[in-house]
Amino acid sequence: MKAEVLDEIKRKYGDRATDTPFERSLYSRDLAPVPALLVDPLFNTMPDLVVRPANVEEVAEILRTAWAGNIPVTPRAGASTVYFDSVPVKGGVVMDLNLLRGVVGLDEERMTVTVQAGTTWSELDDYLNRRGLTVKSYPSSAPVASIGGWFCMMGYGIGSLKYGSLLSQVRAAEVVLATGEVRVVTRDTDPPLSWFAASEGTLGIVTWLELEVRRLSPMKHFLIQFTNVPEMTRVLTELKDASVTPYNLHFADPACVRAMHDLGLTPGDVQDGCILEIDYEGTDRELAQAEDIIRTMAAGNKSINMLPNEVAEMEWKERFKALRLKRGGPAVLGGEVWLPADELAGYLADINKMSLRYGIDLISYGHVVTPEHATVMTMFYTDETKTLKYIFNLSLVKKIHDIGYRHHGCPYGVGLWNTPYIDRIFSRKRLAGLRERKKTLDPRGTMNPGKVYRSPLLMNPYIFGMGMDVMAGILRAAGRGGSG
Amino acid sequence: MSAEQGSRFTTLENEALICGRCGYCRSSCPVYRVIGWESASPRGKISMAKDIFAKGRKDGLSDEFVQRVAQCTLCGACSSICSTGIDTRTLWLELRKRIAQSGKGPKTYDDIRNTLLVNRNISTFSNDDRLEWAQDLDDPEVVEPRAGAEVGYFVGCVSSFFPQAAQISLAIAEIFGEAGVDFTTMGGEEWCCGFPLISSGFADDAREFTKHNVDKIKELGIHTLVASCASCYHVWKHESQAELAGYDLEVLHTTEYLARLVEEKGIELDELDEVVTYHDPCDLGRNSGVYDAPRKIITSIPGVRFVELAHNRSDSLCCGGGGNLQSVDPELAATIAQLRVEEIKESGATIVVSACQQCEQMLSTAIRSAGLPVRVMDISQLILEAMG
Ligand SMILES: Cc1cc2nc3c(=O)[nH]c(=O)nc-3n(C[C@H](O)[C@H](O)[C@H](O)COP(=O)(O)OP(=O)(O)OC[C@H]3O[C@@H](n4cnc5c(N)ncnc54)[C@H](O)[C@@H]3O)c2cc1C
Ligand code: SF4
Ligand code: SF4
Repeated sequence: MKAEVLDEIKRKYGDRATDTPFERSLYSRDLAPVPALLVDPLFNTMPDLVVRPANVEEVAEILRTAWAGNIPVTPRAGASTVYFDSVPVKGGVVMDLNLLRGVVGLDEERMTVTVQAGTTWSELDDYLNRRGLTVKSYPSSAPVASIGGWFCMMGYGIGSLKYGSLLSQVRAAEVVLATGEVRVVTRDTDPPLSWFAASEGTLGIVTWLELEVRRLSPMKHFLIQFTNVPEMTRVLTELKDASVTPYNLHFADPACVRAMHDLGLTPGDVQDGCILEIDYEGTDRELAQAEDIIRTMAAGNKSINMLPNEVAEMEWKERFKALRLKRGGPAVLGGEVWLPADELAGYLADINKMSLRYGIDLISYGHVVTPEHATVMTMFYTDETKTLKYIFNLSLVKKIHDIGYRHHGCPYGVGLWNTPYIDRIFSRKRLAGLRERKKTLDPRGTMNPGKVYRSPLLMNPYIFGMGMDVMAGILRAAGRGGSG
Repeated sequence: MSAEQGSRFTTLENEALICGRCGYCRSSCPVYRVIGWESASPRGKISMAKDIFAKGRKDGLSDEFVQRVAQCTLCGACSSICSTGIDTRTLWLELRKRIAQSGKGPKTYDDIRNTLLVNRNISTFSNDDRLEWAQDLDDPEVVEPRAGAEVGYFVGCVSSFFPQAAQISLAIAEIFGEAGVDFTTMGGEEWCCGFPLISSGFADDAREFTKHNVDKIKELGIHTLVASCASCYHVWKHESQAELAGYDLEVLHTTEYLARLVEEKGIELDELDEVVTYHDPCDLGRNSGVYDAPRKIITSIPGVRFVELAHNRSDSLCCGGGGNLQSVDPELAATIAQLRVEEIKESGATIVVSACQQCEQMLSTAIRSAGLPVRVMDISQLILEAMG
């Protein structure tokens, strides 16, 4: 049955469907170079078929066919995620959504744009910029991240501090449910739009979204070097809560600054301390006020060094290059933590202690994305060509998340690899609610199975936690984490 | 990585490990845009190169992979957007070199190599006929090799042997003549710049060519070299530096030299009532950092209304003709050219100017098949027309 169904899709979609092992293998991974030794015994990440639908009718038809044959379907767009969110774990069909591309309509009265889900954030913003408009927020992976992909993930990034989550900016979306049924969802429909935000492709496929846009406005950029983390976090709190809200608030800890410096990448050739980047957008009046806020804060403060404007502007231009540090590895491992902003100082202090304990450099940077929360990436260099060591190093990722948890944080995004932490990510009640949604919309569980709702047996929180702690203990005893 | 920033390339193995698989490059790659499969994206190819060369998956060097590596115009768009600063253009060349060493390269690459080793140029003609194009000049003698001339004009194979492209060399000779430039050529001693060999994976063979050309320039005592082909220019500027060490040679593209002439009022330009746009050749723009000179020339022509294409300067779209793509997959090359022609159409230009005969050939064909009333011209031809 399964073979017949797959054959049917393949025949129908001709050169937009493939089952060659050569091509399929590239759809069996995302950014995370997790070794086959760890993945293959547990999961079937090799899709049986990859298909590239070009419109909603095709998406619906493929889903209907797969539903009838009980075949798993994993949506994939930019594949710029790291938790195997868009990688199948039970084979089946990978639906590559990159042909769903382009703007459907612009409504300047409503100040919204309707855009196909596979369009990248950079493409959409280019389109809007040519018309004097821009998006309200976007991920720092905008050159590759799709509109639908970010909506189906957490939806916080550059601009979120000022304009809120992506969900709050979406007015409507078209989704195709697991059965192939097409629905337009809004805040008032049943199911509502919010169900699909952060659903990681487990409830259906989003084909277009209507988003709020804004007029392009001038910007001002500031870059400040601090001698110490507590002072940086104090100023960060002051600025995020000030009368003019920054558009973007980005920080880099001392280890990050050192790593950038080693690679010749630090803005203004800063060698030590930590860095805060503050970007404002708005009317000339708002920008003048923002400048006042910064200058007042800086006046007489001996622990800060304001970097020149042009350096701040250059750093803004590099805002999509978070991965540039990878050159120092070349492999990196790490964890991204959704953290209460007022816990940042404590978190970074504990990360520093961990760094000393395990003898590795732990590099942290992140964005303040709401008045209450920051997303913090903490990473370290490793060597993916040394498989065993690499697997041991994975245990340090758990240690990072443990520190995040101690500071009331949790992993940012779930996918497959963060399922052992679902109890930390969701309250019991919320998780039960999410499972109920899944049962309602996808009772056969064919949409992106294995993600979000529960951890696979061998990764259940208890076994996973114990295994990771044992490996971390060995690393600590050996005094050698990281790439050394 | 941009041309201005310089390359941080280490080794193929290390750069492949550095790649974070973020996929930024995918969005800007014209080949991926047309083919649409992950294996055609820079990210996909680097990922496979990592498995093969950094992780020792020997069976990975499959025919499909070799084909994907050849399906690349070497436009460098992936390089300028790369989030980890990989000089991917150098990576692709290194990859083609490894493939050539394994003997698994495309057959057309071997044909290119054989032709070049025999004829010293990419055509089927004898290299002694290099100056045949000059027969259309009033005085063909002016281009005969001459020691001590102020400027050496490096004509390039295409403008030497292909009648359509020879209009460029004729225009340059005429402009230089009008402006009183003391110039010469290398005649039959000009060998191919070596770019087709480099881009087929035979960089070691190309050395013989660059060395020969450098030796001849030195023999002629030339200290300013002007190339009208963007790829020849790139080779002279970037790949011949070892051979040129210690010799004082200013390497300029015709756009740079002509911009100087225009600025110094060496040539007078009359009015042209046209809407002109400019297509940045990858090897001149993104891969060498020359953007302003051609724009300066165009905007200094009275009456011309200059419009930019939607993607321009470092963000420019490739014409599809680079990296020997036409020899391995002409259909793909032509489809990429169509993407560029869409932008030309949107710009409303009546003339599209470029500064590379390959771009001009690709765009002319695509514009013709799209039935657009747009003329494709080399910058030298535009100047000549404006000189009246
Ligand atoms: C350098 C870098 C910076 C980043 N910065 C940020 C950031 O600032 N904020 C942030 O939140 N993330 C960030 N990310 C992570 C990631 O890039 C984003 O979450 C991005 O929005 C994912 O989009 P994508 O198109 O790559 O989705 P994919 O990775 O292809 O998919 C993500 C998930 O959504 C599902 N999916 C994708 N499209 C659809 C659709 N149309 N319908 C239904 N399901 C779908 C997939 O199945 C998968 O579960 C960053 C990543 C990198 C590499
Ligand atoms: S050089 Fe151009 S064609 Fe080749 S992979 Fe990069 S972007 Fe694609
Ligand atoms: S942009 Fe650079 S790091 Fe990202 S996938 Fe492409 S080559 Fe790799």
